Amino acid sequence: MSTVLECRKLAKHYGEGDLAEPVLREVTLHVQRGEACVLIGPSGSGKTTLLSILGCLLTPSGGELHIAGERVNFGSLRALGELRRTRLGFVFQHAQLLPFLSVEENLRVVGRNAGLERVALNGRINMLMQRLGLEAMRGKKPDKLSGGQRQRVAIARAMLHEPSILLADEPTAALDWHNGENVVDMLIAQAREARAALIVVTHDTRLLPKFDRVLSIADGCVKETPTLKPHAN
Amino acid sequence: MWRIISFISGLAVIVVLLFRYRITMRTTIDLTSKVAVIGLWRAGMQNLTALSRDALTLAFKMLWHNQPRLLLTVLGVGVAFFLAAAQFGLLVGWTNTNSALIRHANVDLWVMAEQTPAFDYGTAIPRQRIHQALSVPGVEWAEGLFMGWEIWQRGDGRRVNVELVGLDKSNVGGPWAMRDGKLGCVHVAHQVIVDELYLGPLGVKQVGENFEMIGERTVVGGISQGVRTFTASPFIFTSIEQAIRIDKRYHAEEITYALVRCAPGADVAAVQQEMRKRIAHVEVLTSNEFAVRSAKYWMLETGVGITVVITAVLGLGVGVVITSQTLFAITQDHLPNYATLLALGFRRSSLVVMVLVQSLTLGVCGVVAGSALFFSAVLASARTPIPLETTPLVYAGLVAVSLLSCLVASVMSLRSIFKIDPVSVFRL
Ligand SMILES: Nc1ncnc2c1ncn2[C@@H]1O[C@H](COP(=O)(O)OP(=O)(O)OP(=O)(O)O)[C@@H](O)[C@H]1O
Ligand SMILES: [Mg+2]
Repeated sequence: MSTVLECRKLAKHYGEGDLAEPVLREVTLHVQRGEACVLIGPSGSGKTTLLSILGCLLTPSGGELHIAGERVNFGSLRALGELRRTRLGFVFQHAQLLPFLSVEENLRVVGRNAGLERVALNGRINMLMQRLGLEAMRGKKPDKLSGGQRQRVAIARAMLHEPSILLADEPTAALDWHNGENVVDMLIAQAREARAALIVVTHDTRLLPKFDRVLSIADGCVKETPTLKPHAN
Repeated sequence: MWRIISFISGLAVIVVLLFRYRITMRTTIDLTSKVAVIGLWRAGMQNLTALSRDALTLAFKMLWHNQPRLLLTVLGVGVAFFLAAAQFGLLVGWTNTNSALIRHANVDLWVMAEQTPAFDYGTAIPRQRIHQALSVPGVEWAEGLFMGWEIWQRGDGRRVNVELVGLDKSNVGGPWAMRDGKLGCVHVAHQVIVDELYLGPLGVKQVGENFEMIGERTVVGGISQGVRTFTASPFIFTSIEQAIRIDKRYHAEEITYALVRCAPGADVAAVQQEMRKRIAHVEVLTSNEFAVRSAKYWMLETGVGITVVITAVLGLGVGVVITSQTLFAITQDHLPNYATLLALGFRRSSLVVMVLVQSLTLGVCGVVAGSALFFSAVLASARTPIPLETTPLVYAGLVAVSLLSCLVASVMSLRSIFKIDPVSVFRL
């Protein structure tokens, strides 16, 4: 296995000087390709903050982030955009699909932006629609879908360009247990198949056994918790 | 508030200044449109190459998403554009109206009393000036024209002020289109020509009716088409001799204007110079100079033009406000979507293009809607005393200004685009 995501002593505080409020003190973390991780922690512990940094959306106050062996240059907005476009996949709490585009158009626009060629893109869209059971919804606008369906479209959107890292912040928070479980299963399956590192933030402890690794965040540091996975090795 | 008022009055002053110096106006419009075209072309190329055409699709679909809002905005911008276009249409129509007789006379030079402010206010000069003009080398033809304010008495006794135009042998300076009768009838005793647009005010129903002008019997010998007046006093045409018989202030050997045509190939400017030297106490203007002077007199000296220009500017201002307000509302509504796009790695420049495209789309649709209104109004007003008219240059300028102001209207929206932090997607 190869390390695709690596944090070295990541730190983050909001505000400056006396008002500075440290959220992340020293986060050191290695995630391999194809690994499914879940990130847990109390409210306000910095889960979203960490995910934002890993997603190249937020600049850390200290430390280093390496993606696929390359150090991320937080000084270059262009480089950050490029990483998000090509290397990263995101699933948000509320799917955040564009309401004025159909399901298929939502996927197409993002795929083209990631640089996929027409034929490859069509192939990916068809494949993901089928896998995620979205075929009947192709032409529908997001407001005609259920929350679970929307989240499945969001997964398809995140997986289109076969990212190396898939980040999801509370993707099940807005769903009932059944739909939530379903979405997490799909996330894990898709990530595993694409050999992408997956990091999911959740408050739902019932989901933990599904993951390879459980990371818990407290006092600004991330600790590994022994996995609850029944068939863990 | 005061800033806005001073801004608008500043604009009005600029427009008036531009109007005073037509050449400057022309070059300014030329330059602005060139700059705009180059700018748009560059933006267009960039957007086709660096930014995906998806920015366009996204922009249109976002607009289309809320159709009632789109429709109302386009209507609003359309009406605002129509307002501005109609004001300029009035301006052009009036300018054409108050120089129409001059332009249709189709002569090279006009000889007139000094300091004649406009065609309608010419005063007497000796008929002798025609012969003096004819003796200038390069002159091929010269005749006279009479112009005086008289009173027309209707059958019901009501009196109407009219502008009486007396024509010389060739009828130059007369109406250019006849509905009934012949132009030559003005040389028949007592006969005059009136225009179809003013039959009502003059109380005329048909050719052959009798009226009175300052005690002189007058017979309607013909009815012309499209000879408008700017002064609300209709033009009446007759011969110089009959005009002078009616107008007791003129002597037999007097005229108001001497009209001059140069020989083919003659240098009109040189002839004009020579004529100025040879004939004392007159002004010699080219047709164009006289037309501009008349138009300027009515539009600037009387304040009519400024009022119209201010209303036009207000119309454009309303258009900007409507566009900017809608655009801002759309952008605000879609801030989470813009943030999502940024987070997914879309370039901020694509988002800027989206906003600009939306702004231009609103502008273009508004201009199209407004133009539909305007050109219907142009058609509807074509055969009325107050026509809306336009010239390609004026219209192109208006469209360019409208589209440019749409871009101005996107400033607030662009500011909020630049403020979006993509990290906010996790906190929506
Ligand atoms: N933009 C910001 N400015 C200042 N403080 C912030 C900002 N964003 C987050 N914080 C603070 O950082 C801390 C961590 O926030 P974060 O959202 O990362 O927590 P979280 O673990 O995701 O919590 P939750 O489980 O409730 O989503 C909180 O105390 C929060 O108040
Ligand atoms: Mg959070």
